[in-house]
Amino acid sequence: MKKNIDLKVNGQNYALQVDVKDLLLDVIREKVGLTGTKEGCGTGECGACTVLINGEPVNSCLYLAVRAEGKDILTIEGLGDPSNLHPLQQAFIENGAVQCGFCAPGMLLSAQALLVKNPNPSEQEIREGIAGNICRCTGYVKVVSAIKQAATVLQRDGRASYEP
Amino acid sequence: MLLTTFEYLKPNSLGEALDVLDELKDRKIHVLAGGTDLIPWLRARTKEAEYLVDLEGAGLNQIVFDRDQARIGALVTFATLSQHSEIGRKLPAIAEAAGKVGAVQTRTLATIGGNVCSAVPSLDAAPALLVLDAQFRLQAKGKERLVAAEQFFLGPRRTVLQPGEIMTEIIVPVQDDFRASFLRLGRRKALTLSIVNCAAGVAVQGGGEIAKVRIALGAVAPTPIRAYKAERLLHGHRITPELLAEAAAMAATETSPISDMRASADYRRKISAVLVRRALENATGQTRQVGIKIRTAAGGSK
Repeated sequence: MKKNIDLKVNGQNYALQVDVKDLLLDVIREKVGLTGTKEGCGTGECGACTVLINGEPVNSCLYLAVRAEGKDILTIEGLGDPSNLHPLQQAFIENGAVQCGFCAPGMLLSAQALLVKNPNPSEQEIREGIAGNICRCTGYVKVVSAIKQAATVLQRDGRASYEP
Repeated sequence: MLLTTFEYLKPNSLGEALDVLDELKDRKIHVLAGGTDLIPWLRARTKEAEYLVDLEGAGLNQIVFDRDQARIGALVTFATLSQHSEIGRKLPAIAEAAGKVGAVQTRTLATIGGNVCSAVPSLDAAPALLVLDAQFRLQAKGKERLVAAEQFFLGPRRTVLQPGEIMTEIIVPVQDDFRASFLRLGRRKALTLSIVNCAAGVAVQGGGEIAKVRIALGAVAPTPIRAYKAERLLHGHRITPELLAEAAAMAATETSPISDMRASADYRRKISAVLVRRALENATGQTRQVGIKIRTAAGGSK
């Protein structure tokens, strides 16, 4: 069953024809053409496909694309770009928080959602904020340090609720 | 990609939803709440659907506090419940359970009604709802009934819901002197099904005797259960550490767990006793100060 929908991704509108059974993850990757969002487990257990819908982190592998119509979707491509990295992205680089990189887009978006709500999180709160994002390379110590650093930078620059 | 194919319907009101469900009640139909269980089941072809009825537009996402009860819409998400200040103050066991489901991403989508209706034995919302004497409002076109949480579950993934009928609201009595607490144990703190989950609630009379007590456990029987024998052991008595331990041991004998990839039946029984004791200690303010780490539902230690 086909349906025409308007999808708003990273502030831009896309008029798309989707099947009602298409998952948001697949539509973002294959129809919108943004491949920063990754598919890991496909069952909502790894967080690689995390995007923000109206600011809230969601596993896009569990979300029907038709349901996303009229909502604001943020993917990693909307967080920052190579010439203008988001402070979280900069902090991930500086702290060596990216190894293979597969979990990084989801991890960054979970961190972004956390910092918008809680600009000065404790280590425990950071760990809870990224508990839905599994890293299989190297662990979470550097990721936690990076998020702490980004929080400090954002607060220092008076951009505590910095939104892309 | 979802392999299965279905028609997608999104009614704009509860009335419209009940009409649609009534019309299609003889078809293979699933209602979509948060989708965190349903979508993986469709992907794995554990479930098949001809029709998916999305309830997002049916207006079932309100929380209303009347004088002595809370009415929680079936589509209220765990994120909302875990952050709702009045729920946190008046029904902390629900907030604690809601904050422990899955991870942040799961809680954004997963709903309390969807969780309950999935009826998996480990569902984290159940123990708190059982100890709080919650009732479920079930509606079909032109019909409505209230079912007590205790009567709702029939077996793994089986409930009293009839074709064409959905849960619309969860009604939870608020009793000021009744303190309830929720605990769970999983392999890790997030994104894992509970090996055992448990809630306990206690109201104490002026003289120190237990006036009302409820104990419930999940993942240790085909459905979430109340531990009635343990409750009877406590009722009318003064709280002592020995009595709580005795009740906890009794509760463990009321379970009928299975062994699976997550834990053995034997381990589940042992953990049941530990969690029940800790939940009773939390609910009665008897938390031990020395020699034991209690992982609270809020995730910290005390």
